[in-house]
Amino acid sequence: MDDRDPPRDVLAELTQLAADLGPVLRPRDDEEFLQAIVETARLVFDAAACSIALFDEHEEELEFRVAAGSGAAATIGMRIPADRGIAGWALMSGQSIAVDDVRQDPRFAADVAATTGYVPNAIMAMPLESERRSFGVIEVLDRRRSGGEGIDDMELLALFARQATLAVETSRIFSNLGQAILESVALAAHGDDLRTALEQRAAKAPRAQAELAELALLFHDLGVLGPEERRVAARIADDFLAYARKRRH
Amino acid sequence: MKPAWSWQFDPATLQRVPASLPAAITREWAWEGSTGAGVKVAVIDSGIDASYPGIGPLAGGAVVVADDDAPRGARVIEGPHEDLFGHGTACAAIIRVVAPDAELYSIRVLGERLTGRGIVFAEGMRWALAQGMQVLNMSLSTSRADYFGLFHEIVDGAYFQRAMVVCAVNNVRAPSYPSQYASVFSVAAHEGRDPFRLDYNTSPPVEFGAPGIDLEVGWLGGRTIRATGNSFAAPHIAGLIARILGKHPALTPFQMKTVLMALADNAQ
Repeated sequence: MDDRDPPRDVLAELTQLAADLGPVLRPRDDEEFLQAIVETARLVFDAAACSIALFDEHEEELEFRVAAGSGAAATIGMRIPADRGIAGWALMSGQSIAVDDVRQDPRFAADVAATTGYVPNAIMAMPLESERRSFGVIEVLDRRRSGGEGIDDMELLALFARQATLAVETSRIFSNLGQAILESVALAAHGDDLRTALEQRAAKAPRAQAELAELALLFHDLGVLGPEERRVAARIADDFLAYARKRRH
Repeated sequence: MKPAWSWQFDPATLQRVPASLPAAITREWAWEGSTGAGVKVAVIDSGIDASYPGIGPLAGGAVVVADDDAPRGARVIEGPHEDLFGHGTACAAIIRVVAPDAELYSIRVLGERLTGRGIVFAEGMRWALAQGMQVLNMSLSTSRADYFGLFHEIVDGAYFQRAMVVCAVNNVRAPSYPSQYASVFSVAAHEGRDPFRLDYNTSPPVEFGAPGIDLEVGWLGGRTIRATGNSFAAPHIAGLIARILGKHPALTPFQMKTVLMALADNAQ
């Protein structure tokens, strides 16, 4: 084994330590965040219910992960196809929509009543999107308080949608990063050196993660060079970041 | 010797262009007598229910589906299709109110699957432009930064072929595409209900305001719903553009913006 890499038993202990500490160190479960958001939104809108559904890309379905208010217990876990309905349209189109007389649609009313026991009259739905992906919808049912005309309500809901997006994306970044590091360490513990392990992780990761793993690999290589090389590299990375930010804004 | 492109300005080859805008742009000049006849309008959405009252026969249509084996990741299937959500029908009905005789085309890009939808939107736009559509209504958007370059290229191409791309902005104060670009007509809902009235915003990226709050709009199964959203404001502007183009077919996108700005309620 290369003398730059820690001995195998240390890596095994590190893996165990990371596995033990992971659940403690990571941010709070995103569902706890999301539950707090829908409860707050329901109160602010004085709504019958508020819920967040996340997109399941394997099934092409929306799954209601959190809900507050009427029918909440039955709503959580409910799955609906993403290719129909108000929530599906918001997700697919990237646009917010408020509809005020959904009960007039007999199919909708029957479907929903059978599942949750509560049939709303008005639905406001907004997509949850980051600059990387679309991943869900936040819905408010039968809001009684209104900031004025419908569009003001949407401005307000957009604030809650932003919080939900930040919660989900932060949680996702931590879990991806943690997973990549843990997998690399685990591979290294099984006899490969850390560099080979990172390379293997980079090779099998999906594209976005592969880029991160490649970066991690570069940092690993930089780490074993001298302080002068690291300073130059940091300056180049800094210049590039400044350029990239400028280009984006 | 001349630099590249300068030959286009040789007096012998320079094309004549109509000096078409009058000193005072009025509604009468802009659209009186026009019904949007002869103007090709693409509704890039969830499909259109052609049997919905007042929409009448469509001039054509296509469904775009994601296809990893296709060169650009999406494939176009021409032919009639249904509306999966109701929203495309709502947009078509709104356009019909303002431009009853426009040639409506339904390009369905919503509903197949979420993954890769930006690619599908883009392919729908390309198909519409290749068919010579003059107005593209896009009541949809994506916030994915990866698509910035892709949509930029397409809306530039649209602008250069004088196609008017009308886009609803999304509700979050962050960039979304394709509504973000200066060459498109970006629209949000204002508080009026008169389909012939609009506002001009002097602080874009949102440039135009049109009805989109608490409207009775067409939906699935021949019925209407009462709905709010910027996505209903965009087809009002698309319809007005079709109406104006019906009377002044040579207008370019930048002239059309000048005309709409002059016709806005907040124009002095």
